[in-house]
Amino acid sequence: MTDILTLVFRTFTSQTDGSEELTGPPTSPATCSALLVGDAGLSRSVLLLAAVTAASEVGVRVVFFTQTRIQSLPPCLQKRKILFSYPRTMEELLQQVARLHEPTNTSPAPPSLIVVDGLEGFLCERGAGLAGFHPGEQSVQAAHLSALLCDSAAFLTRVLRSRSPGADPCRVVASFQSPGDGGRAGGEASAADPTLEVLDRYFRVRCTLDRAGSYEAAAGGLHEVWDIYLSGTGMADASDTT
Amino acid sequence: MRSFLPAVAEQLFRDIQKTHQETSQIPDDLLIALKFVFGSCALQALDLVDHHSVTCLSSPSGRKAFQVIGGSGRLYTCFASCHYCPCPAFAYSVLRRNDGLLQQGLRQKRTKRLVDLYKKRPSWKHTMCTAA
Repeated sequence: MTDILTLVFRTFTSQTDGSEELTGPPTSPATCSALLVGDAGLSRSVLLLAAVTAASEVGVRVVFFTQTRIQSLPPCLQKRKILFSYPRTMEELLQQVARLHEPTNTSPAPPSLIVVDGLEGFLCERGAGLAGFHPGEQSVQAAHLSALLCDSAAFLTRVLRSRSPGADPCRVVASFQSPGDGGRAGGEASAADPTLEVLDRYFRVRCTLDRAGSYEAAAGGLHEVWDIYLSGTGMADASDTT
Repeated sequence: MRSFLPAVAEQLFRDIQKTHQETSQIPDDLLIALKFVFGSCALQALDLVDHHSVTCLSSPSGRKAFQVIGGSGRLYTCFASCHYCPCPAFAYSVLRRNDGLLQQGLRQKRTKRLVDLYKKRPSWKHTMCTAA
């Protein structure tokens, strides 16, 4: 997944003098699952760009799960290779992810990228404000969904490689915003969030999107500056193998 | 620091599988190694294997999952390629306390993979989302 994210950042960001050339580790099992944390609006945009990049530049099928319906898409984005799905609840999302292995979803080609926008929206619905809410319930839900996503991706990888031995693995990317995450620096964001700790078990790479806190004026307009951090056990494992 | 324990465990499972295929037995030294890596839960896991409490479900697409009957009689479904179990022990020991390399249900699933004693069900009508 880091390969697609790296391609997105390289393509859609402007690199100023002194900035490093964007590079990422090669695709490997360690880097196939990534979690975007930080600003919800930016995460959604990055996920959409990742879906478009995967479908157009890499040429793979994408399944995009989100609770918020996309009102309109430019014609260039209305590709059959991207399937948008709008589950309203956690149960619906689980059902739809669980069915990705069925022939209707693997023909003519199985998806190679699974995107889930706004995990927090699916996880919060059951417990928030209800009597008898167990603080650990959200963590358990997070583990269940994450494990299902990873298991589905592993199965789809086997299908992809059975049809084409050199095929890249199926990737998973999701976004998550911890409560009260807005405005904090990337390094300390959500450090004590138990749900995020659970998600880190399954998503080997974490991509933190952090507003740098200052605006860079450029000829013709104002530009926001964002810092992007790639971290997690997947990055360390990928480095060990290179 | 990168953990090598998962790789050690995987190699141990490969050794046990190879030995069992050749001799239909698992020697004591490998069982001791299993207990060393996974702790005392390894014995309870093997006990459930002996009682045929693990079933491999397969779907027409080829996807597999494992169902484990826990000590309480409840049925739990584990994924074939990912560490997760819907039982309370996993939620408490693994997710909350971060104890143990694997929770017992997952150890049982891994052990079943070795000894090929599970019951195979050719049709799979459960969906993954009903595992919990």
